[in-house]
Amino acid sequence: MLYKKKTPLIAFLLPGFAMLLIFLYVPFVDNINNSFYNMKGFIELQKFIGLSNYKEMLQDAKLHTSLINSLKMMGLTVVFQVGIALLLAILVSNIKRGQQFFRTVYFFPIVISATAIGLLFNLFYNYKGGALNQLLQTFGKEPVNWMAATTAFVMIIIPTIWSYVGFYFVIILTGLFDISDEIYEAASIDGCTKAQAVIRITLPLLRGVLCTCITLAVTGALKVFDLPWVIAPQGAPGGITHFMGTYMYQIAFVNLNVDYGAAIAVAIVVLGVIVSLVINKILKPDANL
Amino acid sequence: MHKYKKFVALLIVSLMVFGSLSACGSGSKGTTEANTDAAETDQETTSGEATGVTSEKITLTTVSMMGGTDPNTERYQEVIDAFMEKYPNVTVEDSSQMSDQTWKAKVAAQFSVGDEPDVIQFFTDNNASEVLAADQFVTIDEIREVYPEYAAAIVDNAWKASANPDGVNRAVPTTGFWEGLFCNKDLFDKYELALPTDWDSFITAVKTFKENGIIPIAVSLNEVPHYWIEHLMLSAAGGEEFTSIPETAPESWIKGLEILKELYEMGAFPEDSQTITNDAAGELFKTKQAAMQLDGSWYAGGIDDQENTVVVAFPVVEGGQKGPNDIIGGLSSGFYITKKAWDDPLKRAAAVEFVMMNTSPEQIAIYWNGNGMATVELEAPADMTPLGLAGLELGNAATGTFAPTDARLIGEAYSSITTSTVDLVNGTKTAEEILNNALQINMDSQE
Repeated sequence: MLYKKKTPLIAFLLPGFAMLLIFLYVPFVDNINNSFYNMKGFIELQKFIGLSNYKEMLQDAKLHTSLINSLKMMGLTVVFQVGIALLLAILVSNIKRGQQFFRTVYFFPIVISATAIGLLFNLFYNYKGGALNQLLQTFGKEPVNWMAATTAFVMIIIPTIWSYVGFYFVIILTGLFDISDEIYEAASIDGCTKAQAVIRITLPLLRGVLCTCITLAVTGALKVFDLPWVIAPQGAPGGITHFMGTYMYQIAFVNLNVDYGAAIAVAIVVLGVIVSLVINKILKPDANL
Repeated sequence: MHKYKKFVALLIVSLMVFGSLSACGSGSKGTTEANTDAAETDQETTSGEATGVTSEKITLTTVSMMGGTDPNTERYQEVIDAFMEKYPNVTVEDSSQMSDQTWKAKVAAQFSVGDEPDVIQFFTDNNASEVLAADQFVTIDEIREVYPEYAAAIVDNAWKASANPDGVNRAVPTTGFWEGLFCNKDLFDKYELALPTDWDSFITAVKTFKENGIIPIAVSLNEVPHYWIEHLMLSAAGGEEFTSIPETAPESWIKGLEILKELYEMGAFPEDSQTITNDAAGELFKTKQAAMQLDGSWYAGGIDDQENTVVVAFPVVEGGQKGPNDIIGGLSSGFYITKKAWDDPLKRAAAVEFVMMNTSPEQIAIYWNGNGMATVELEAPADMTPLGLAGLELGNAATGTFAPTDARLIGEAYSSITTSTVDLVNGTKTAEEILNNALQINMDSQE
């Protein structure tokens, strides 16, 4: 009866839509407009400069670095975040005792604020007196500059990936529990080994869940900001550890070049759309097996 | 039943809509009473106390740089507590924070969108260019038309020094600052080194400390290279050229900035100076792992070892034009009242009273505590530490006090220099490129 009349439906949908319109779509369009002007401060449009900001993006080496870093991060999150989560979920689903314990332990890092994790790892990486160098010195080794140009990217990736493995672990584990035991029983009667069961039964039946996890991981990698910024503010050292989000933030809020920051924000959205389309094309999550 | 369900659905939707809109708009109740209150506040006030603070329940939003690890944080909080005790109907919502680039940008954004606080202690020079552009401050003259005794004790020189770039006074200054080279004297004594009052003894100290496993200079090139940029430029260029705003970077500025790269290549900075945070760099100095740190008067109060730490004027670089006792310093912050509070009859007197409590001679003496410059006439406290005395001596002996570069260049231009410091020491950008780019940005903003 309710759905015969559209008015109540529209009445309920309207407030949410109004919020999205005011706080998302209008600023989004405004931001695109801002990117075509030279801005003074955060509001004043000083001079129309057309595509000048977008042309600058083509020559901005630090932007290229941040784009490459973001793409690398996407690949690494798929392989390591989702990959490790899958491995852990398969292992945990096969144990009878302690399942709840492992679920809690692996999920726990999600609960910790990313800023707190970043500050913690900062203390680990400190050259003078950091936990890692103290450990090295205990074994008579020389301290290492963990955030040097050659190693900084890896040092940022490690906690970023580690902190979210638990999230995908729980999703995949839930997906595993939806697979009926009868299928495994029937397979084992037919002589299927554990490894074969994983490859021939588990992975194909987890396809939908894995596609969701990969999509979330990739889009999350594009948006990442808090951990890299806390560990290596302003893409330290020398901007080589910037990601798209951190570089956009630096340009807009540290360099106060608001219009160029607006252009980078537009580029991030475009990149996100392209990446989502590519993922959908490759994974075909709705295709019949 | 159908009509009842329709009624309930409409009620829920209305509640949701009103609920989401409830944060919008300002209260306008009690306008008639407020008008009467405003009339009552239009009377002469005595120094340190504005009469006629409303008895209505109001919230005063305040922001200052006296937050976090700033030595004046506690003293400022005491003023807030005393204010709220005196006026129990006034709730002060304070969101003070130590100043850094991110905070400055946040404040500028708040002013841009009309979310400014009622009272703010903020910069008065070009550091506040984005905020001043919002034109949300009442001028001192306007306030004095209603409260003639407003900030009456502030000396004339302080008013001159704390005028905004357009020459108008809007903020009441409390204390000024100096910048100098903090030295762990005990480390200098240990290696029988003279304090770095000239370039030769500075370089000798850097080399000796480096050889003996002490970090010569604590600095975060990534986060706060600001003081090194300014002092090297002043040291090379001298006061007059340093404080000019040329079209292209003078040779002296370029030469000064290039010395930063030379010092980096000498190993004068921490191994991780490109990634270390400013706080962590400060810890290196305070825990005697580093010998020197270039910072300002606000830093002195947070140093634990007040006995064995001194501060000296930055030395003159080879061929430099700076006088040996010329320093960077000045008055660049003060308490503003926003038009939002001034035009609100319920809040006006409260805002004025809050600023007057913070800027009374007694309170300025507390904030000053012998550190930096005071904006009223004060005597040095009797119980000053050796570091405090060294700071006072630095200020008193200064033959020239020059405002830092960010007082003259707009935020975007100055940020382009500070965020290029790591590129400079890595050799990916030259000093000339960095400085000329900054001057160009500054010029473009004037159009």
